[in-house]
Amino acid sequence: MNHWLIAPLLVPLTASVALLFATGGSPALRRTLSLAATAALLPLAILLVLQADSGAVCSYRLGDWPPPFGIVLVLDRLSALLLLVTAVLACCSLLAAIHGEDRRGRHFHPLFQLQLVGLNGAFLTGDLFNLFVFFEILLLASFALALHGHGRERTRAGLHYTVVNLAGSSLFLVALGLLYAAAGTLTMADLAVRVAAAPADDLLLHTAALLLLVVFGLKAALLPLHLWLPGLYAESGGAVAALFAIMTKVGLYALLRVFTLIFPASTGAGGAVAALLPWLALLTLAAGAVGVLGSRGLRLVIAWQVVVSAGMLLAGIGLGNLAGISAALYYLAHTTLVTGGLFLLTELISTQRGTTGDRLEPGPPVRQPTLLGGLYLLGAMAAAGTPPLSGFIGKVLLLRAAPAGGTAWLWAVVLTAGLVALVALSRAGSTLFWKTEGLRAEGGGARPLAFAPVVVLLGAAVVLTVCAGPVTRYTEATAAQLLAPAGYTGAVLTREDRP
Amino acid sequence: MAALAAVAVAVLVACGVYLVLRGRTFPVAIGLSLFSYAVNLFLFATGRLVSGAPPIAGSGGPTADPLPQALVLTAIVISFGMTAFVITLALRAQGELGSDQVDGRADTPEEER
Amino acid sequence: MHLFLVLFLPLLAALAPARVGHRFGPAAAAWTAAGGALAALVAALAPLAGVFAGAPVSAGFAWLPAAGLDLYLRLDGLAALFVLLVLGIGLLVILYASQYLAEGERIGRFFGLLLLFMGAMLGVVLSDNLLLLLVFWEMTSLSSFLLIGFWHHRAEARRGAYMALTVTGGGGLALLAGFLLLGHMAGTFRISSILQAGELIRGHDLYLPMLALILTGAFAKSAQFPFHFWLPHAMEAPTPVSAYLHSATMVKAGVFLLARLYPVLSGTDPWFFLVGGTGLVTLLFGAYMALFQHDLKGLLAYSTISHLGLIVLLFGLDTPMAAVAAVFHIINHATFKASLFMTAGIIDHETGTRDMRRINGLYRFMPRTALLAMVATAAMAGVPLLNGFLSKEMFFAETVHLGGLAPVGLLLPAAATLASVFSVAYSARFIHDVFFNGEPVNLPRYPPHDAPRLMRLPLVILVAHCLIVGIFPGLTVAPFLRLAAASVLGSPLPAFDLAVWHGFNLPLAMSATALVLGISLYAVRRQLFALHAQLFPPVDAHSLFSRLVEGAYSAARRCTAATANGSLQRSLALLLLAAAAAMAAPLVRGLWPPIGPPPVPLDGLTLFGGLAMITGAVLTVRWHRRRFLALIPLSVVGLMCALAFVRFSAPDLALTQLAIEVVTIILLLLALFFLPQRTPVESTPRRRLRDLMLALTLGTTTGLLTWTVLTRPPGATIADFFLANSLPGGGGANVVNVILVDFRGFDTLGEISVLAIAALAIHALLDGLRLPPCGRPCGCGREPAAERHPLVLAQMTRFLLPMALLVSVYLFLRGHNAPGGGFIAGLITTAALILQYLASGIAWTREQWAVRYHRLIAWGLTIALLTGLGSWLFGRPFLTSAFGHFELPLVGEFELATAMLFDLGVYLVVVGALMLVLTTLGDLNRRCLRAGEAS
Repeated sequence: MNHWLIAPLLVPLTASVALLFATGGSPALRRTLSLAATAALLPLAILLVLQADSGAVCSYRLGDWPPPFGIVLVLDRLSALLLLVTAVLACCSLLAAIHGEDRRGRHFHPLFQLQLVGLNGAFLTGDLFNLFVFFEILLLASFALALHGHGRERTRAGLHYTVVNLAGSSLFLVALGLLYAAAGTLTMADLAVRVAAAPADDLLLHTAALLLLVVFGLKAALLPLHLWLPGLYAESGGAVAALFAIMTKVGLYALLRVFTLIFPASTGAGGAVAALLPWLALLTLAAGAVGVLGSRGLRLVIAWQVVVSAGMLLAGIGLGNLAGISAALYYLAHTTLVTGGLFLLTELISTQRGTTGDRLEPGPPVRQPTLLGGLYLLGAMAAAGTPPLSGFIGKVLLLRAAPAGGTAWLWAVVLTAGLVALVALSRAGSTLFWKTEGLRAEGGGARPLAFAPVVVLLGAAVVLTVCAGPVTRYTEATAAQLLAPAGYTGAVLTREDRP
Repeated sequence: MAALAAVAVAVLVACGVYLVLRGRTFPVAIGLSLFSYAVNLFLFATGRLVSGAPPIAGSGGPTADPLPQALVLTAIVISFGMTAFVITLALRAQGELGSDQVDGRADTPEEER
Repeated sequence: MHLFLVLFLPLLAALAPARVGHRFGPAAAAWTAAGGALAALVAALAPLAGVFAGAPVSAGFAWLPAAGLDLYLRLDGLAALFVLLVLGIGLLVILYASQYLAEGERIGRFFGLLLLFMGAMLGVVLSDNLLLLLVFWEMTSLSSFLLIGFWHHRAEARRGAYMALTVTGGGGLALLAGFLLLGHMAGTFRISSILQAGELIRGHDLYLPMLALILTGAFAKSAQFPFHFWLPHAMEAPTPVSAYLHSATMVKAGVFLLARLYPVLSGTDPWFFLVGGTGLVTLLFGAYMALFQHDLKGLLAYSTISHLGLIVLLFGLDTPMAAVAAVFHIINHATFKASLFMTAGIIDHETGTRDMRRINGLYRFMPRTALLAMVATAAMAGVPLLNGFLSKEMFFAETVHLGGLAPVGLLLPAAATLASVFSVAYSARFIHDVFFNGEPVNLPRYPPHDAPRLMRLPLVILVAHCLIVGIFPGLTVAPFLRLAAASVLGSPLPAFDLAVWHGFNLPLAMSATALVLGISLYAVRRQLFALHAQLFPPVDAHSLFSRLVEGAYSAARRCTAATANGSLQRSLALLLLAAAAAMAAPLVRGLWPPIGPPPVPLDGLTLFGGLAMITGAVLTVRWHRRRFLALIPLSVVGLMCALAFVRFSAPDLALTQLAIEVVTIILLLLALFFLPQRTPVESTPRRRLRDLMLALTLGTTTGLLTWTVLTRPPGATIADFFLANSLPGGGGANVVNVILVDFRGFDTLGEISVLAIAALAIHALLDGLRLPPCGRPCGCGREPAAERHPLVLAQMTRFLLPMALLVSVYLFLRGHNAPGGGFIAGLITTAALILQYLASGIAWTREQWAVRYHRLIAWGLTIALLTGLGSWLFGRPFLTSAFGHFELPLVGEFELATAMLFDLGVYLVVVGALMLVLTTLGDLNRRCLRAGEAS
């Protein structure tokens, strides 16, 4: 019995309990605890990636009940990849948070850990209702983190985020009810089997599929359900915003999982959804690009860039072929880490620009122009998809996945979005670092340690570029695994008695 | 029976949705809880409506489907947590935005948005 | 492997100068830069020798096959020529810059960027993979951006840099698309293989879009009309940069690409008209504009545009001889234009201005520089015995040769001559206006001196090259030219001889005409300037561009502001609309379900309950403006839900719903203490109608779905397993509870975590929040704070409390077998405790119950976790349950299940969380009342 599989959930959960006991204890203790727990996730995730890369789909039967009756955790290449990305991002964001952001409100660390529980659970669970539960965990934790600290705008954005997502959760329940009524089970693998067997034009299944698209689309900030995102990300604290870079990816993960496993395009309901995805992707990309162009602050630019990346990912998923999904997964790793890094970097820059903050207007020069400027250049190049960094590779992979000529719209929109990002980011950079006026703001430069997380996250772009070969091999294997759901269902549903 | 249940759910949903779309935090909160009542009823209904046969094992004979009941129980508790959070958030908004208008705008008749 | 050295030596060296300059001063930085370039040159020697021996050298390995991006380099004739240009001129420019830049500028960084560009440019010419070429291509754009913006304190520099990046970057994206198409058509991204597939590609039906995209990229880079406008603004860069990037090398990348892909793309009508046409227009336009610039560098910029147009036109003419001429002119233009820019730099440096209306008669002050400049200018004008003359003669010859045949007729030779007339004219102006033509007009720096020797050295070398090539072409440039031209054509070279004298022929006549007319044109320049001024009122390309960009920005802003206007109601409406669409679409598409068995008959009591529920909901909406009032029908709805659960055999649900209902209402009441008591009427009727429509749609669809579910014949579900295994497997008769704590205990673990988070989050939210109690505080709202409490109620509740606790314990213990369990017990306990708070006030209760609730939560979670982990000891998965029956005296046989332990955890978390929430709110009340009393 391989208990490693549940460790990514138990470690942060235990940590959060310990942190609860430590409430009122010394902050140093809490930080150490939290950091240790988060750091422990890294080797764990790497272990799981290696395990998943064998190609086997491993499942963990909670309570030792055979599926579909008990809840199972399932580890395949996809979930392993996302666990790893989450772990890296979480470590960096926490490293940035302990420079004071975690003291601006109460219970930051336990909430942070519970957020990780929610994320890892969502990636690992093989049961649809359990997915709902983990969604609630990560949502509630993210509400709390988004509202961590005070401020008018933050409260406003937090309120929107909360209310909209609560409505979304109720819809998720409706979809679950429909699925149970139609298929009589909750384990994803079992659902896959039963849906495949069900008549192609089952009303309940069609409705359930479409509702799930809406629910996950809301999480993934797809048009027209993206309006909650820019404000929230722009108003949250740097470390929190960095962690949120993974939040939209949860929605996309769920989309990818459900619409390759339960509702593949071959099923009636799945077909209906598959026809929608490319257009949603197109619209999201366009809206994101416009938003990027229209933003007056660096945080907003990056926040809208998140919307753009959601569009890119959905475009890859929407292509539905191996190359497309593989490209999307590569891009997912790239965009999550780089966006996180940029949010952290923005925090550093805006603190050094005093009252001007991250607004794109002439302001006092930063204290560490070379360091910050260099990092910004790196991040902007990666985000805008300038060669040779990972953003460029992801873009090329995506464009190559789209059959040449057949999908001119995709090429046009993706390339235009790239140009817009280039224009906006270069303009932002020249405003922030070149168009300076007045004296330097008060306060010294950031300590070297404060740069560590930024360097790691933006460095990931370089790593992803240099190791592009192996990474793409992994993502291609993942895509292949996703496109052959029989392997998944078979591995999960094998009947075996208690050992 | 089915018709009655359907109508009840429909009305609850409609009322909930209408309230959720109001411009003040409190009605929104009430609307959300109405909506979740409706959703719970719906979820419960997916186990079909069975009279006088609670799912006690060994009672013999067919009983109600226990799974939706368990799910609804979970859902009830979770939605309680969420409602509590929203209400508190409404207080915080009142405190920091100085108004219970959902967009934190001052108390003026709203224009079409 | 040498090739990689050639490529990476400058790139690696690029890191050095900044540090070196920082420590050892600018000179050292310059020397390191020169060292880097020199090292690359040395590394290049061996492969170059190979190429001259006639064998292209290639190296490389696969990097990213999935993307078609591989590290393949190839050095053939064309690449060799460009490598020599880039490194040779690069060295001279470094030498020049070391004298040019003033002290105190970040010279180290400057040389670093220069080397970065050098490496990128080498990459462009050496790449044997389309995408790799693109990578370096964009790197050149980027380094050019940074170099143009080098003096970024100047707004013009920033704008010029931004403009250059936008245009060339946009071109780069077009190029990417074009390359992807080309690679798709050829089936490979390896350039050397693509060059073999000319036939296939020219025949492909994607040829035209591919060609258009690639040409867009190339023309944007080589400043061809209509993308030319960025180049004059790039002149804000330090002059060495202009000399190197914006005349000799980077702008040549575009024409390099035309040469590189010549065997594949050329030979079609689209090629002829697109490339030839653009070249012709640019040639004339640039030559004309150059004459009317007053800025020295502006003149040179437009002249560069015009000469690039000439080269493009030559490739467009699409004859082998024209291609040879093009390659030849690439070399010549690089040499004389670089030297001219250096001259301009010297003059700028010495006089402090570049305005030709003020710079006159410099010959007296700087005779040596003047002589050099005159030779170079003569080369630009195409005066015999200079290299410019030779390539221009070839150009004329080609135009004449083509002029013989349709469709161009005599147009082409005429245009060529006209352009060259203008180029003679502006060359004349460059010489006469600057070095003679009277006295200088109030120069910022006076008197100017001749440039220092080291600064003149590069000029001397370049000008000498112009002369030698011009006089002995056969001995000097011919082998290079043949080599390069051969690799451009990819086919045997046409016979040609580079001689100064071809006898009296039409081209010579054309040159003569050009010279004469040009000089005379210059003679009448005053009138011309006047004419030009009134014909073409000055259009600032920049203001146009920036207006365009700003337009885009503001449009985007308006668009974003219009959609993402930060209105929650809009987001919600969109979400609900999407949901409505999702639920309605299948119904509309007519996927009507089969009707199952006749539904359960309706009885009066249930009907009454249902109606009560419906009325409650409607009244809640009806009264929602009077908030306290609205709570009453709301609680009725909750109550009816509970009854419905009882009615349809779900006792556990009923109990839970009931308890939750109580707590929720208390919560809402506490909250209302701080919120306005009434909701103002603010939505417009239209808005209300919209919402009503949305609500009705969603309601109807959900109702229909419910009906569908209820009338559909029940299929096989996993429920039977639970009923069957609850007792034997889970050791409990109450299946719902067994599911909660055993079959799906993991859900429950998550659920109590949600409760815990909610409690913590609320605690954090209200932390330090100060709220004035607004509106009319209702009784229950104030109770917990005010210290007066109705004695009876207080006594009663105090008496009630133990009973309530007893009840909850009972419910907890029986939970596993009969309705009850951790949740319900916890809720009941909470309700009882809350009653205490309400009745006796927080202070009193605190004394009785000194509990720190977040500790309680933590303990609950710990117990649940440990129960789960316990199963590991028995080698079972997390949360595996075990149970046993035990005999106890008096009590008799009873059962113990680990699941109950888990349930205890649930109980504790529920109590802890709920109490934390409610007491936090209560404290808020108290704080505020205190504040109220204090004030």
